[in-house]
Amino acid sequence: MLGTQLKYDLIMFSRELFYLVFTVFVPPATYIFMGQLFGEQTYAGNLSYAQTYTPSFILLITFTVIFFAFGFDQVTQRTTGVEKRISLSPVSKNTLLLSSIIRSTIITSFGYGFILIIGMLMYDLEFHLLSFLTSYGFFILLNAVLLTIASAIYSFFQNMNSALVFSIVIFQVVIFTGGFAMPISMMPKFIQIIADFNPMYHMNNLFIAVWNGQLTFDNNVLLAIGYIGALVIVALFILRIQNRQKIG
Amino acid sequence: MKIIEVSNLKKSYGTNHVLQGVNFQAQSGEVIGVIGKNGAGKSTFLEILMTIKQYDAGTVIVLDENIESLPMNRLELVRKQISVVLQPTQFYKTLKVEELLKLFKAYYKSSIDIKKIIIDFKLEPHRKKYFDKLSGGWKQIVSLAIAFLSEPKLLILDEPTTGLDPHMRNMLWSYITDYNKRTGGTVILTTHNMDEIELYCDKVMLINNGVNEVFDTTEGILASGYKSINEFYLAKVSI
Ligand SMILES: Nc1ncnc2c1ncn2[C@@H]1O[C@H](COP(=O)(O)OP(=O)(O)OP(=O)(O)O)[C@@H](O)[C@H]1O
Ligand SMILES: [Mg+2]
Repeated sequence: MLGTQLKYDLIMFSRELFYLVFTVFVPPATYIFMGQLFGEQTYAGNLSYAQTYTPSFILLITFTVIFFAFGFDQVTQRTTGVEKRISLSPVSKNTLLLSSIIRSTIITSFGYGFILIIGMLMYDLEFHLLSFLTSYGFFILLNAVLLTIASAIYSFFQNMNSALVFSIVIFQVVIFTGGFAMPISMMPKFIQIIADFNPMYHMNNLFIAVWNGQLTFDNNVLLAIGYIGALVIVALFILRIQNRQKIG
Repeated sequence: MKIIEVSNLKKSYGTNHVLQGVNFQAQSGEVIGVIGKNGAGKSTFLEILMTIKQYDAGTVIVLDENIESLPMNRLELVRKQISVVLQPTQFYKTLKVEELLKLFKAYYKSSIDIKKIIIDFKLEPHRKKYFDKLSGGWKQIVSLAIAFLSEPKLLILDEPTTGLDPHMRNMLWSYITDYNKRTGGTVILTTHNMDEIELYCDKVMLINNGVNEVFDTTEGILASGYKSINEFYLAKVSI
């Protein structure tokens, strides 16, 4: 059952050009493009372009996959009546949810490998098994965080157009204030302030630190972890309330 | 055996009081037609029976369960025994017809052969088309084919024949009557085609002004002096 659902979920993803462009095409292309422009520079923590932006772009893919192909997709199903029809079929909600979680993790993992390989081929990224395993483990944790937050946010949308506009705006905000375009320290002051409230900015920094074995539990890091943890708790709380309303 | 028991059912959308006290029963093996003008509340009524719509007052018992305040897992057990066609019907847009049938076959853990369903519902030329790209009538047929993938105790169909050409309509009715005779399953459906009611339904419920103005056997209605169900409808319902 889960296997069949997952198979068709993946087939459906591969047929949505819109998802494919935003998830598997735009982030890697931007990664290559920025590397051509800024590949020679050195970044905070004495890191190279590849050491900084490889984890960043993996996170960006994770974000787009989860927000578009997982969150936005839920709104589509809800508003087109597909969710209603499926709810009358003998398949449990948990199977559907689990399948879409596994699907999104498969796609983001694929993105992980894709960026990693581009980095190794083009930007002299080195591969160490141990740090790969730690990074991948942390990456799965980030997946869980984003899945929870995205579910909570998109549970509010009853209309596809507003969800689409929201998704595109949030995509821009995340790119510019998450540290995915230029380093935040080179940005204007107001962007830096927004960045402080952007959980993606903190996740990005944490992921870069984990990736390069530079994670130290100083105040900033603890604050970031606390902030992300608080958001997850709020999201879980919202999900509980929203689910209770939908029953019956 | 009672399959459905509804008493004094009320449902409003804001100030639009759609159902204002509907009483209804269905015994196992009956084919019941629900009629009424556009906007009378037929779809609303059927969706309440399908357990996917909240209502304001009254009692609704479906397959021995009072569906009000039933926990999700028991609700899922009830839904397992019901097959439906919704108005309008929607499925995953980017799956092909055959893929949809396979997916739903898996949901129903059905032993029915997809090939047979494809032949019966004349779906062969559309097997590889995306659901989204089908014409309205063919979407309807796919939706019906999916409803017949399982052999449910209760079949609830909202305007199943709307949009079908005469051949497909006949085919569908022979499917419905065959299912009903063979398995003893109960069928509740809506239609705007009064000839279908006359030909195929054991009972009729007319929803008018929010209540079940008439709920009688088709024979009973005809015996009370109407030449046809169409004449009965035109006499009972004003524009
Ligand atoms: N989700 C909803 N929100 C608000 N009003 C609704 C909703 N669904 C239906 N209505 C209203 O309730 C009334 C009954 O609608 P319903 O769809 O049950 O009618 P119907 O008898 O099935 O009509 P038709 O023959 O055209 O299919 C209509 O006035 C409709 O506008
Ligand atoms: Mg209707």
